[in-house]
Amino acid sequence: MATPQENKAPRSFGERLMSVNRTTLYGLLIAVTSIPLFFDITLPNQPTPAAIDAFVTLSQLPEGSTVLIQSDWTISTRGESAGNMEAALRILMRRGVNFAIFSVADPQAPQVARDVVARINAERRAAGQPEYERWNQWVNLGLFPNAEATLNSFGVNFAAAIRDKTDVAPIPGPDGELTFEARPVLQSPVFKNVRSIGDASAYLVITASGSINIAIERLADKVPMVGMVTGVMGPETLPYYTSGQLRGLSAGLKGVYDMEWLMEFGLNSPPDNPRVVSEKHRALGELKGFDGEINLAKGKRYYPTLHAALFLMILAVVVGNVGMFLSRKRGR
Amino acid sequence: MLGLPTPLANFWSHPHGSGELVLWVLIALAAGFALMFAALKAPARLRFPIVATVTFVSGSFWVLFYLWPRPFNRQPGELPANTVESVGFWLQDAVRVVGDASNVLSALMLGLGIYSLLRVHGNRLIKRQRDWFFSLVLILSMITMIVFGYWDYFIRESDAELAILIDNGQSWAFPNYMRDLLFDGLLQQLDAAMFSIIAFYILSAAYRAFRVRSVEATILLSAALLVMLSLMGLVESGWNSLVDSITGGDPGHFLTNLRLTELAGWLRDTVQTSGLRAIEFGIGVGTLAIGLRIWLSLERSAVNT
Repeated sequence: MATPQENKAPRSFGERLMSVNRTTLYGLLIAVTSIPLFFDITLPNQPTPAAIDAFVTLSQLPEGSTVLIQSDWTISTRGESAGNMEAALRILMRRGVNFAIFSVADPQAPQVARDVVARINAERRAAGQPEYERWNQWVNLGLFPNAEATLNSFGVNFAAAIRDKTDVAPIPGPDGELTFEARPVLQSPVFKNVRSIGDASAYLVITASGSINIAIERLADKVPMVGMVTGVMGPETLPYYTSGQLRGLSAGLKGVYDMEWLMEFGLNSPPDNPRVVSEKHRALGELKGFDGEINLAKGKRYYPTLHAALFLMILAVVVGNVGMFLSRKRGR
Repeated sequence: MLGLPTPLANFWSHPHGSGELVLWVLIALAAGFALMFAALKAPARLRFPIVATVTFVSGSFWVLFYLWPRPFNRQPGELPANTVESVGFWLQDAVRVVGDASNVLSALMLGLGIYSLLRVHGNRLIKRQRDWFFSLVLILSMITMIVFGYWDYFIRESDAELAILIDNGQSWAFPNYMRDLLFDGLLQQLDAAMFSIIAFYILSAAYRAFRVRSVEATILLSAALLVMLSLMGLVESGWNSLVDSITGGDPGHFLTNLRLTELAGWLRDTVQTSGLRAIEFGIGVGTLAIGLRIWLSLERSAVNT
């Protein structure tokens, strides 16, 4: 009597294509996503209109104005969210725009956001630039655990909603030496001209969750809003950009690279031979990038990995389908 | 001084950290506990009316807030001219208090979560039930994180100057190193690793399930391929350059529509956005209906215990 192994017909090429084992797939994924990280590759790019609008909005904020940053991401999405936040902070710091950071979603988020500010400040220190001063140029409002109620309060009376929040203020002593103590954030120069949410020059949401929807619902009619979300949240957030509720949107790693690309090459710049052209913003004239600064960073570093991962995904789908067609053909 | 409208009567408007505020907080806490015990001791037949009343009153605040005429161009210290304006002022002032109360309630849920975790895993550990070792690891990890987290926090709170130095990576002591190791070095990296695992499942699922078996599946696959290719700058540039070489870069040429940027943009802005908008409208209407049912206690499953 034949054993099951002896009865088993040899697998066709199509069947073999359809049955690549999981370990091989996982091994390939690890290889293609890791290898590009070891090389310094600058891939060509064409920023999306949504990212261009985000860049234009942030680049045109008046110097000395205040931006509110709702930072709701944690390390699980650092590939995208950290890149977006770093790009936004670099633009704001280079343009001399003040900012206040807070979170309405995750208790870990305020610490993660503070770490990013510290990182960009270290980068500025290394480049011989002045650090962005806590209290005088940026403040930390911490965590508000309930997004719905907090953002409603922001919309009604922003100053009242944050009046119990404190941050560390440098106090000059009689001998000129600075001492530090906690003071209400409303006394900070950052909020000198901000009493209602509409006094802020922009409201930036950096998130990996639906907390951006709550912010849009409660505040989009009161302050210009820009979104920086993960690739997963991108499609869900896009309707708010096309409706005009968001002034700009940077979605996923592609969004990070778009922002960095625009920081490097500018928009419609130089006018005679621009790298990035936007007919919509032609009236603005030339919007220059930041020459000689660190612009291409996390987005540039991870973009080749995204390429490789997407390529592998497309290849896997094609191989699976070719296998299916060959098997069907053989069956007929 | 801060340009804030002064509420006419607001228990919570005492300065941050003042004795009066602490007194009111203690009174509120005692009243809260008293109410909680009263609710626990209430006869079973009264529980539903109590829950329904609290739900209705809480919901009524937001309904009133959205539907009541809002004060227009209100000045600090301004007194209401009539009853309608008086209610409008009260609602506007109360939003902050309600917001703060909601924040406190949300924070209490964190405590509830810790209590629940300790109860479930503590029981498992004491009774030596299956996988008790993992419960032990969980409880020990939680206690360690809480101890070093608060130790680090109190060091920063005790000295504002030191807090700045610690944030800049200077003057670290043992608890700061431990917090960094546990939070940034361990928890955050585990968090990232957990999220990264999704990539393996997505790849495996795409390979096994994304098959062209029907017209609908073919359309879905084609759209997905176009969107994925549009995320690859190298492919996008090559594809667009090819189309541009045929059209001569003429934006009015019909074939310009076949640039990958245009194709993916059309898919995103026309097909995807419309679909998502329809879904979100549906969700919105559904949420409104469920909200109304809960507010009016018609949704028995939400209020019946």
